[in-house]
Amino acid sequence: MTWKDIPPVPTSQEFIDIVLSRTQRRLPTQIRAGFKISRIRAFYTRKVKFTQETCSDKFSMIVSSFPILTDQHPFHRDLMNILYDADHFKVALGQVSTARHLIETISRDYVRLLKYSQSLFQCKQLKRAALGRMATLIKRLKDPLLYLDQVRQHLARLPDINPTTRTLLVAGFPNVGKSSFVRSVTRADTPVEPYAFTTKSLFVGHLDYKYLRYQVIDTPGILDHPLEEMNTIEMQSVTALAHLRAAICFFIDISEQCGYSLKAQCNLFKSIKPLFANKMVFIVLNKMDIKAFEDLEPEMQAELNDLTKTGEVELLRASCATQDGVQDVKNRVCERLLVERVAQKLKAGTGSNGAMGSRLTEVMSRIHVAQPLDGIVRQTFIPEGVKNLKKYDKADPERRQLARDEEEANGGAGVFNVDLRRDYILDNPSWKYDRIPEVIDGQNVYDFIDPDIEAKLQALEEEEEKLEKEGFYESEEEEEDESEAEVLEKAEYIREKHRLIRNEAKMRKSLKNRAMIPRKAHKKSFAQLEDHLDQLGVDTEEINLRGRAREQPHTRGRPLPDRYAGREEEDPDAMDIDTRTPHQRVERSKSRARSVPATDRMNDGLTTMEDKTKIEKVRKLGQRKLNRMARQGEADRHIPASMPKHLFSGKRTMGKTNSR
Amino acid sequence: MRIDSCFFCGRPAWPSKGITFMRNDGKSFRFCRSKCHKNFKMKRNPRKLKWTKAHRRNAGKEMVVDSTLQFAARRNVPVRYNRELVAKTVKAIERISEVRARRERVFYKKRMAGKRAREVASARKLVANNEHLLPRLRGSEKRRLAELAAEQGVSIEELEAEGLANMRSSKKTLAFGGEKQRLRVRTDGGVETITERAEVSLLGEDDDDNDDDEMDTD
Repeated sequence: MTWKDIPPVPTSQEFIDIVLSRTQRRLPTQIRAGFKISRIRAFYTRKVKFTQETCSDKFSMIVSSFPILTDQHPFHRDLMNILYDADHFKVALGQVSTARHLIETISRDYVRLLKYSQSLFQCKQLKRAALGRMATLIKRLKDPLLYLDQVRQHLARLPDINPTTRTLLVAGFPNVGKSSFVRSVTRADTPVEPYAFTTKSLFVGHLDYKYLRYQVIDTPGILDHPLEEMNTIEMQSVTALAHLRAAICFFIDISEQCGYSLKAQCNLFKSIKPLFANKMVFIVLNKMDIKAFEDLEPEMQAELNDLTKTGEVELLRASCATQDGVQDVKNRVCERLLVERVAQKLKAGTGSNGAMGSRLTEVMSRIHVAQPLDGIVRQTFIPEGVKNLKKYDKADPERRQLARDEEEANGGAGVFNVDLRRDYILDNPSWKYDRIPEVIDGQNVYDFIDPDIEAKLQALEEEEEKLEKEGFYESEEEEEDESEAEVLEKAEYIREKHRLIRNEAKMRKSLKNRAMIPRKAHKKSFAQLEDHLDQLGVDTEEINLRGRAREQPHTRGRPLPDRYAGREEEDPDAMDIDTRTPHQRVERSKSRARSVPATDRMNDGLTTMEDKTKIEKVRKLGQRKLNRMARQGEADRHIPASMPKHLFSGKRTMGKTNSR
Repeated sequence: MRIDSCFFCGRPAWPSKGITFMRNDGKSFRFCRSKCHKNFKMKRNPRKLKWTKAHRRNAGKEMVVDSTLQFAARRNVPVRYNRELVAKTVKAIERISEVRARRERVFYKKRMAGKRAREVASARKLVANNEHLLPRLRGSEKRRLAELAAEQGVSIEELEAEGLANMRSSKKTLAFGGEKQRLRVRTDGGVETITERAEVSLLGEDDDDNDDDEMDTD
């Protein structure tokens, strides 16, 4: 429970300033004398109302931010009562609340009056009066507001005490070492000084025990006098003792250095005993380093023992100065507190008939404590051979022989070869040095090694037998037929022939830039004709081919050129014998205008004049369209690109031209 | 030591031959020769190259399903050496390869069944269509034979037939090598010797099944 976030409470003057400046800021006066009176009235009404609303909001915020005493834990309620006086606190909050109502009344009254005002001036005066009265009211709240702000500041600094958690409460006379104990067992930095009432309020520290957090409350010292005479500081201790369900550590200074006799301390214990009802109480004998329990007078020892006689109170010993027994005290107290709290919870959860309540059952079902190995103890196992093994000693001549010794005996490193085969584990030790076949007939022997090879081979043999029986291996030999052989032979001859024909055609096909000459125009000698006919099986002598050829008359029409007609051409390399007519000689002696090409491309391949004219016609026809549209023709000069870009750039499909 | 099969062509790759490529994911590729290695580097698909085992298996040219092929396998279970077991295995290997060879022969025969009939049929067709290309006796030769026949008193037809046969067959002897001896293994295991005229033509026509020859001569 914390009250650290209560907003600050302004003083009355600050309050007035806040309210009025807010009003001025939010509703600036924008009104002129010429405005309609209704508008002026409305504006001032709004202003008054706004001021009232701001005040009310602020007041209600103050009231709601403070804790309501009746809702608090009895401990906190009592503590606040002691520290701030509950009546005073309630009255202050009441005054603030009343002021809010009064301000509401004032605003209501003045809003009513404003309805009847006749002028701007009247309105303004009424507003002034209203705000003035509100301010007066707030001014009167000066004291309560101041008080509330102080309470707020004190509340924020109050230690965060949780009344329900595991708590250790340290109590005792002033100066007996309560704070030193808290200091030594927790992380709290409680002030320790050698005078009474160093601790003037409650302090809280925390300690861990068995992974649980415990709250340790350091209380101011208590003097042994009636409750009515106790001051505020002592009353805090008493409140804590009365309301917190904690383990109480009553500290007693047996050295009496605190200035109070042992007797007085015992008496205090007895007088505040009613506060210990239903609580665990420990008496901690502090400052054992100065005076041991045994050094006390017997009657004092008896007195102390008397206190613990009831059995509920336990006597512990410690010395905060030397830290002797401090941890023991802590552990003891924490342990008992834990056991007690668990027992109490179990008891609370269990009904009167012994059945566990539903909530407790649920908690218990979630708890599982694991036991390692179900509590079985396993012994370490050391084999007999290892247990009896003699410890290896290099100096001992009877020592165990190591592989290293063997190496040394057989020539040392580099000479000695470790026999790996010796340690083979085989069914028969005599197999150790067998040469194991690796490859047979191009097959890996190891691929065939199989423990049940025999069975598999047997299965194969059976299958083989079965196949044999089924006639799987029988084959009908194809008898060679005489006529078939002849046909095949003939076919082979024909194929050969085909190949030759094809070859010849291929060779003929390469024109080498010469014109294609029709077969009809080819020169064929008579001998060739004769031979061909002979080949075809015609008896040329019988049909008297040569005789008929000589009788053949000349063909009619224009004679063919020499080289087509089968007549011998003139040898161009022959010596120029003058066989020409005088006319020819004159023609020849004339100078030639231009060189004549070796081949006549215009007329090559043409046999008749008709062909020539026909070609001319076709050519002209093809040219006609191009001529008409002034298109580029094949006769036009054309320079093709030497390296067309599209054929030489870009990456190739299968790599290169520096890949992709 | 172990004989691996070539990753590319499937031939046995003997130790010290070929090359092994270890890919950086740990897979190893054994190649029997640089040809296979180069083809692999060119990212060629072995199934599409006729000279690989992968292609032949894929095209049904080789026996793939058979119990004899089940014996050799890499079993990743180490077996301790046992003299009797190894002896048995060695014997078994011999027997298994014998049986396998026999079955392969049958497989081949079955695959080739009807081939000759098809050949003859196509030859008949060819001959029928190209009668004019068959050799004929020259006119002058006919006259000579007729004169010879008249002289010797034999029938002209006989002489002509002889002459024709000579013409046809004389072509064949053009190739060098003359005769060729082939060993044919019968399915029952016997071996017979066949003497054949060399059929190596001068132009070397490609037959689509010239791999069949190697099967006959093992």
